[in-house]
Amino acid sequence: MEMRGANMGKVKNKPGFIIYVLPVLVFVTMVVYIPFIMSMCYSFTEWNGISRAAKFIGLENFRLLFTEDGGFKDSAIFTLKFSVLFIVTINTLAVFLAVMLDKKLKTSGILRAGFFVPYILSMVIVGFIWRFIFIQGFETMGNLTNLGFFSWSWLGDAKLAFWSVLFVSIWQSVGFYIVIYIAGLQSIPVQLIEAAIIDGAGTVVRFFRVTIPLIMPSVTTCVFLALTNSIKIFDVIISLTNGGPGGSTTSITYDIYKEAFQNNSYGYGTAKALVLFVAILLITLVQVTFFKKKEVEM
Amino acid sequence: MSENKKKLIVIEVVLIVFVIIFLYPIFLVLINSIKSFKEVMTNVLSFPSSFHFKNYTYVWRSINYPRLFFNNVVVTTIAILGIIVFSSLAGFTLSRNKSRLSWILYIFSISPMLIPFQTIMITLIKFVNIMRLPNNIYGLAALYWGFAAPAAVFMYHGFAKGIPKEMDESALVDGASTLRMFFSIMFPLLKPVTSTIIVIDVMWIWNDFLLPLIILDGPKESKTLTLAAYTFIGQYVTDWQYTMSAIVLAVIPSIIFFIFMQKNIVKGVTAGAVKG
Repeated sequence: MEMRGANMGKVKNKPGFIIYVLPVLVFVTMVVYIPFIMSMCYSFTEWNGISRAAKFIGLENFRLLFTEDGGFKDSAIFTLKFSVLFIVTINTLAVFLAVMLDKKLKTSGILRAGFFVPYILSMVIVGFIWRFIFIQGFETMGNLTNLGFFSWSWLGDAKLAFWSVLFVSIWQSVGFYIVIYIAGLQSIPVQLIEAAIIDGAGTVVRFFRVTIPLIMPSVTTCVFLALTNSIKIFDVIISLTNGGPGGSTTSITYDIYKEAFQNNSYGYGTAKALVLFVAILLITLVQVTFFKKKEVEM
Repeated sequence: MSENKKKLIVIEVVLIVFVIIFLYPIFLVLINSIKSFKEVMTNVLSFPSSFHFKNYTYVWRSINYPRLFFNNVVVTTIAILGIIVFSSLAGFTLSRNKSRLSWILYIFSISPMLIPFQTIMITLIKFVNIMRLPNNIYGLAALYWGFAAPAAVFMYHGFAKGIPKEMDESALVDGASTLRMFFSIMFPLLKPVTSTIIVIDVMWIWNDFLLPLIILDGPKESKTLTLAAYTFIGQYVTDWQYTMSAIVLAVIPSIIFFIFMQKNIVKGVTAGAVKG
């Protein structure tokens, strides 16, 4: 975003240009701003979505949410744990694979496409694919290999279900992150790498001292994307674990969804949704300032 | 040098094996979609002893596949056309106009990127009902105009800055109206952004789940493909042979799209990620 636009050359433009912007302004207002303001209002009410009247109850929803709602706390912990592990794992894996795929390999194009395939599938469908593999596929593999690993209850045990959700999410989108890192790697001038080789830097040193600093813009992008995507995780959960077993894989977004559309507590649901908004806003601001500093230092 | 080459070959072989394992689940879904129920239950890994294409005809008919496919095409097409036309016009105009008002409107248009969908989904339904907007695929498509606009305006705005101003001035001198000037001269110049937005938004809208789930309100023929597959699989939980054929039918359009558009998709996704 550039802030200069506003102050540059104070050309007196007629406000007639608004007519070309109007459609976007109207659509954005209708689908985002008005529902957002409505959310703020309804978060102070008890509202079941069916009856017209919503009862004003002040801050009661928020009090309940922060002090008594164990389910919300658990979903927040799940989401946080999931996001941290997702961001770290997927970025490490993607950087590593991108460096490998960026080498002069004969099948490089096909390999890249292979990793990318799951990314084009809908998340809900990906959840179903893996439900089949975890339940039916693992049974056959367990019978064939006699490995205990395959007979563990990957979706039925609370601890294992967490790792299953994490694994499937990474499987689905790692190809996307690989593609961005490869683009970053290809923008590194060859001379810089050659200079490092001449200076006698080994593979590992070269990777951490030359490659990583130079692809820092890609890292910023990928961490940011991984954060915004993981914190909103929903689709894969609804088809893979349905939030279970015993609510152990219920994310904040899934909790909001259940609160509103299954428990019919619309008012309470909007309160939770607003908390999610504030949390995401704060995390985004912290992250943007943190990485901005990092990039400038280089 | 030969040492280096050997190393490359090892890396290549390891990666090939890794990709095969990586994609193996998809392959398993494919072979199990043409097995009988009994065969799926006894051995998932084996090749089908006979081809049960009946699974497909059953799913095809019971979810009314052609109709759902058509619905998806309608939603995606209407959504994309609107997104491109309205956002390019707004992004370009806001980028050319240097007034304070223009800046404020730009911020107003792109800020919704910070609001997660789940924050507004509950009241969105309420609002859609109050406004009596249709709960069908056409209403759904129109909602995407608003949801996609912030990112699209942001990208068009950024790109338009790089197009020399002399281009629009010379067009205006020739007496073209502003709108005609825009669509005949500027719009073609914005093509790189347009194709990026098409790729990203097609993949999103075609596969989208939550918005159709809460908006579409009607018989099952009025749903989208992903949504119908979700409902179908929910009903046939352990009839794996049917759920597998439903999965294949649901993902085949995406796979074909990917095979033909691979280069554009990868380019579009990269550009979108870096600029967005």
